[in-house]
Parts: sequence; structure tokens; C-alpha cells
Amino acid sequence: MFHRVGSRNEHTGITGLSHFFEHMMFNGAKKYGPKMFDRAMEDSGGRNNAYTSEDMTVYQDWFPPGALRLIFDLEADRTRDLSFDAKMVESERGVVANERRLSVENNDRNLLGEQLMAAAFTAHPYHWPVLGWMVDIEHWQREDLEQYYQTYYAPNNCELVIVGDIQKDTVIQLAREYLEPIPAQAPPRPVTTTEPEQTGERRVRVHKFAQLPSLQVAYHSPAAVDPDYLPLNVLEYILLKGESSRLYRRLVDQEQVANSVDGGQTAHLDPFVFLFDIQPRDGVPVARVERVLNEEIAKLQSAPVTGRELQKAKNTAVADFYRTMKTIDGKANALGTYDMVFGDYHQLFQTVDRINQVTIADVQRVARKYLIPQHRTVAELVPEKAAAETKK
Amino acid sequence: MKRIPNWRGGLAAVWMMTGLAAATGWVAPSMAQEPTLRLPEYQTVKLENGLTLLLLERRQLPLVSLHWVLKSGGAIADPAGREGLASLTAGLLRKGARSRTAGQVAETLDFVGATFEAGAGLDCASGSCEFVKKDSAAMLDLVADLLLHPAFPAAELNKLAKQEIDGIKEEKAVPEQVIGRYYAGALFGSHPYGRPVGGTETSLARITRKDVARFYEERYAPNEMILAVVGDFSSAELVRRLRDLFGAWKPKSVPAVRLDPTAAVTGRHALIIDKPDATQTFFHFGNLGLAYTNQDRVEVEVVNTLFGGRFTSMINTELRIQSGLTYGASSRFSPLRVPGAFTISSFTPNASTERAMTLALETLKRLHDQGITADQLKSAKAYLKGLFPPRFETNDQLAATLAELELYGLDRKFIDGWFGRIDALTLADARRIIDQYYPLENLEFVFIGQAAVIEPVAKKLAGDVRKQAIEAPGF
Repeated sequence: MFHRVGSRNEHTGITGLSHFFEHMMFNGAKKYGPKMFDRAMEDSGGRNNAYTSEDMTVYQDWFPPGALRLIFDLEADRTRDLSFDAKMVESERGVVANERRLSVENNDRNLLGEQLMAAAFTAHPYHWPVLGWMVDIEHWQREDLEQYYQTYYAPNNCELVIVGDIQKDTVIQLAREYLEPIPAQAPPRPVTTTEPEQTGERRVRVHKFAQLPSLQVAYHSPAAVDPDYLPLNVLEYILLKGESSRLYRRLVDQEQVANSVDGGQTAHLDPFVFLFDIQPRDGVPVARVERVLNEEIAKLQSAPVTGRELQKAKNTAVADFYRTMKTIDGKANALGTYDMVFGDYHQLFQTVDRINQVTIADVQRVARKYLIPQHRTVAELVPEKAAAETKK
Repeated sequence: MKRIPNWRGGLAAVWMMTGLAAATGWVAPSMAQEPTLRLPEYQTVKLENGLTLLLLERRQLPLVSLHWVLKSGGAIADPAGREGLASLTAGLLRKGARSRTAGQVAETLDFVGATFEAGAGLDCASGSCEFVKKDSAAMLDLVADLLLHPAFPAAELNKLAKQEIDGIKEEKAVPEQVIGRYYAGALFGSHPYGRPVGGTETSLARITRKDVARFYEERYAPNEMILAVVGDFSSAELVRRLRDLFGAWKPKSVPAVRLDPTAAVTGRHALIIDKPDATQTFFHFGNLGLAYTNQDRVEVEVVNTLFGGRFTSMINTELRIQSGLTYGASSRFSPLRVPGAFTISSFTPNASTERAMTLALETLKRLHDQGITADQLKSAKAYLKGLFPPRFETNDQLAATLAELELYGLDRKFIDGWFGRIDALTLADARRIIDQYYPLENLEFVFIGQAAVIEPVAKKLAGDVRKQAIEAPGF
């Protein structure tokens, strides 16, 4: 189930609430009380997970065909009658704070990425992390949760995707029986804030106990629905996907100044960033790595790529696209994501053709349009040998 | 995320790089009846030089997945002080062969959107290649070239070793990525299973091209290799092609690695890895687990599902769901050629280190004191049966499974008999499994976090407490 709500819909003071909500959805409703959702599902051979992004919150259930009715009952119960037991809220607050400690405070790369995004976005809600700031995790109130539920967990803000060993008619009948009676709500207030154009490079430094430095560079990039999204996707393969990509060859293979290069774009509702995430080798000044990155971007802007290089990038992009759909889980996720973020699930079936239509000129054009210094934010992790006192 | 991805333990113990990912779908039996489970039909062919081929035709998509296992190429064969040799040898296969440079190999693979991965686990080396059917001829040529005629250029070894060394320093910034290596070292000591498969900051620096070439010459042989291929091909044609490519490879007598089962830990011991900036304490504790071919494998998986193998497990209920002390707590067995580790793991804020540890131990004690109920047993059976098919949805999952069964001398009966064994499990069996496989008094503890916070807790738990700095080389 795809709910059209993510950190993009939050505001100061309640950052991270969408993600917290993702957790609360497992903590009891009217028919299935605390712990019962997971128990009932596991008792029937099913399993679940969920994830939150800047743009959406997604609930995933995997189960044998015999559990189909139960799944509808469980999903309808929590979509209509979620409870907000004070004790559960406090306990789950602890879980989420621990998730943040795990994946941000004790993960330097994510810690740096959070600061990078906070600098790259000043007005738009992509400024804050999906997990939220720790201080907000500690302070949101029950009323915040109730209001959020009312607004964003209405059926008119949600899509159900189901793939696998099912009968279409049965699914529609169950949806009518369980989901249709849940009343619609007034549509959520649209997100109207757009990020003002960046007019100069921004730089961020994070000093931390670590053995190695780290470099992340973000350029503002278009939303998923923008016609430039797929040309940039092809550019991503040319620059940093695979061991024959330009940045891997130069940074990791030839000059050996980096241990790894990663990054690229991710599909979003609003303009996001094109990221370069580079792990410099021990003892290599970060500035040297950054210089090589800038040189490679400049090359792409000044000289057209060869036909063979373009073809290679397209072939790999297409193969990777198909790989995401090897499983029924991957298929369901792709359908929902395309409908939510690309505006229409039919876009999924045009992606391969559209990748194949990207030209040499397109690649050069998007390199010149998006990868410009004024639109760049650079974040650097500076390793400190002596530990700071961070006891909590 | 609601939970850490890859929550479930898979079948896979040997494939350290990818594991068996979550997925869905099986050869669907009639839905009216109780579902049964059988591996699809596949063919086993032994070439004259001892190479074992496992072939499963599956034509839903024009894709082919190839998975190879080299029985003699695992990290247990690493010489002392050269930890990481098996891993580097496998990693260097794609870095040049006969007439191809590393760059040409990368270009060839990327041009057709194919993947090639290779690495080492403890018991074996293994690798995989996935490609589109129309590229089969070129990709099979490439794989044979990389496996049979690797060049191991010194410059590439130098590069890869340095990358791996820096990679370890990078991983040490993220405790959850390295705690398993410290735990294996503490639990197994000088036994080959105590070795870090990927080597250490110092051992990797010592490895020379000569070491790699010798390891390959001695240990890579057709009679030690299993090649599983799943996907869109004709078996008869593929066997001919593979015979052409691999048939002339000469068998060798490979020196066996002595691998005795190690003795279980007695008493309680603790190792603290000091990471002064940590805001959480990460912990692993347990003792020896079981071997891959252990007759109780399936039964142990059922009990472990209830204790620490799923979201509503006893340990996750106590440490996460009821108390919010952690984001996740779990337990798992790592089945290997001889018994691997049994591990209970979690993490918690510094201030709740003692509370979380106490609760984890109390939960383990409760498993012994109260056992499990009939309802719990029924639920675990349904859970495992319902989620077994997704382990075998894709070509690559199936190829890895076939190769792994062959590696440990098992066959399709292990999978085909799985549901029957689950069904047959009784409460009395569960009691025996708890008594036999869940240690209570004798435990090895490993912590990563602020030593000043952990030390008082560790001293209450264990008689002997050691300390080490995270930045100190090795594990």
C-alpha cells in the first residue's frame, strides 16, 4: 500500500513524523490490538515491512494466497481505526530514536549526507531527513499523530498494488468489501514550497572521530516527471556505474585516489539532487579527489560521448531496470513507485524506449544544464583522531 | 524502515557477497490442497575432469544465471598471517586473463549489462554471472577465461589489497558491519572459522602476487568446482558448450584443509571493542551452533524462528516491541561444514546497555524454563512454510541453492523433504532442541561501543574481560 505522504509533507517541529507513523501503523487498531497485526500475519505464513521516503510511505505484505482475506482485514483495520495508545507511542519513540542512532549517529556516511541535504535545500522540505531531527523525535505529541492520520491515511491518499498468484475479481471484491467503506477525507494541502535557485557553491564540513575522510557532492536535479530525468540517468551510468564508468576508471582504477564512487539520482516528486558519494583513499587529500571529479564533469560538458559509450550506458541502465523486476515484490514496488512519483504506472512500460531514445547531444546538454558550480553543495567528513566526549 | 532488511536467515551460509535475497513465487501446486514444495527438475552432469554441472532450464525471461562454487577455495585455506588470500584470489579473477585486461573485462560486461561477482566465504570460494540469453556465447567464453586463465597482474593485486585495507577502516566506522568478525575471532580463536574472511589491515598488506598465484595453482581445479546454471537455455547445447570450454582443464589433487569441529566455549568471556564516539552499544553473544548437514537443521530453524528469527520473536518482542530499547534484536545459526556460530545480537543506547543485556539473558533463560507452546509451534510452522517459496523465486537464488546443496553433499531431498520435517516437529522435539542448541551458562560476549560504559556491565557478566581499540588493526 502506497500512501502519498513523506517527510516532504512535514514542517519544523514534526520532522520525522511520517516515518514514525510508518512504525505506529503496526502498533494496534480496533480489531487487531497491540502486537496482533504482526502475530496474525506471521501465524498465517505472512511477513511484512515498510519504508518511508521523502515523498511516500509504503507498506509491504508478503503472504501465501490463502491469507488474502486476512491481509485485507488487517489493512482495512489499521487504515480506518488505528489507536494511539500512550504507552505504545512512548515505546515506539524509543525504537525510532534507536533507528536514528543506528543509521545516522553510528553511520558516518549517512551523517554527512544529512548535513549535505540540509545545506543544499534551504526552503523546500527536502532540507530535513526522512528520519527527522532527534529533537523532533523526542517532542512530537499525540495530537500531531491524530491529525496526520486523519489527513494522510485516508483511502483517497492511498494506492494498493497487488502482484502474484491472485484472481483479479477476487481482489476487487475484497477491496470493495474491506476498503471501500472507509470514508474519504478532504485532500491534503499541497506542498507549494519550491526551492529557490542556488546562486553559489555551498560547503559543509563535519568533524568526527573516524579513520578516513569522506566526500559528497550534490547538484540540484529535476523531478522524476521532468523530460531531463532519463538523460541524466544515462549520464549517471557513463560517469559512475560499473567498473568501466569514467569516474571509477579514473579515481579508483587509474589514479587510485578513491576506494569507491557511488551516487546518481533518485526519482522524486520535486526537484532533488544528483549525488556523487566518494570514499577517498587513506592519506589522499579530499581536494585532489574533488579536482578529478570536477575535471570529469567538465569533460562531459565540453566533449560529446562516443556512440559506443552511450550504447553501453543504455544497455546497463536497461538491464538494471529489468533486474529490479525479477521478483513479484520488485514488480509491485515498481508499479506503485511509477504511479506515485512518475505520475502514472504506464510510465513503467515506456522507460526502456525512453532510455533508448537518449542521444549524445542530450547527455551533453543535461551535463551543461545541471552539473554547474553555482548549483553545487560539497560536504566533507574530516576525521578526528581524538574522540569527542559524546556520552549520552 | 520498520526493520532492518534481510531479517530472515536464509539457506545461504556460503555466499557472503549476496546471500539469498527475499522474493516470492514457486512452482504453484493446486491451491485447493495443502501447498507442497519441490525443487523444479534439474540435471546433474559430471564432466570427465570432475567438474560438476547442475542445469535447470527456466524460460520465463530471456536471462541466464550462472553460479560457481569452488570447494577448495574458501578462507579456511588461508595460511596464518595471510588472512584474506582466498578472498583476494577470487576478487582478482575479473582483473585480467590471458588476452584481456581488467579494463577490457569491465567494458565487456558493462557493454551488455551483465554482472560478474566473485568472492570467498569460509568453506568455499564462489561467484556468479548473470546475462541476457543473446549474449550467452560471449559471456560463457568470458567466464571460462576468467576462471581458467586468470593473469593476476601485480598492479591489480596492489590496488585491490589497498582498497580492501581502506575498506576495513571505513567499515570500522559502522559497528554493525564489523561486529561479526570480532565475534568469530573471539568464539573460534585459532580455528579456521575464527579468521576474518576479508583479511585484516596488516595481513592484506603482506599478500604477494606469488601467494595469489600459488593459491590458485594449488586450489582451483575442475574436480573441486560446481557450476550451476539456471535460466533460458537448452541443457544439451549448454553441456556441449561447457565441455568445450572447461573439458581440457586438468584435474588436480588439492591439499585438504584440516577442519576439526572446535570445542564449545566454556565459562563466560567478554571482549570489548572501544569506539569512543559510539552513542550505542552493539553486542553479539552465544556459542557454537551447528553444521550445515546437521540432522536437526530444520527443527532448529523452527525453534529459532520463535526465539529470534522473526519480528514477533521472543527476543525482538522483549527488547524492541515492549521496551523500545533497540531497533532490532535477533538470533541466528550460521551452518557451515563443521559447526559455525550461534549468535544473539542487538544494540541499544549507551545508557541502557545493562538493561538490554539483562533482558536478553532473561529471555534466553525463559526459553529454557518455559519452552514454547503448541500455539507458538503452529505459528512458526505456518510462517516458515508460507515464506519458504520466496527464497527460490529468481534464477540466481535457485542457482546458488543448487550449488550450495552440492557443496555440502546434500541433494534435492533436503528441500523436497522440508515441509514434511516441519509438519512432523513436536513439542517434545522442540524441548530437546532448546536443551541441546541454546547455550545458557557458557557464553562468549562481544561488545562495540564506549568501553567506559560497557566495562562495568561486562564485568558482571563474565569472569574474563578483554579490551581492544577499534582502530587497532585486525579483529
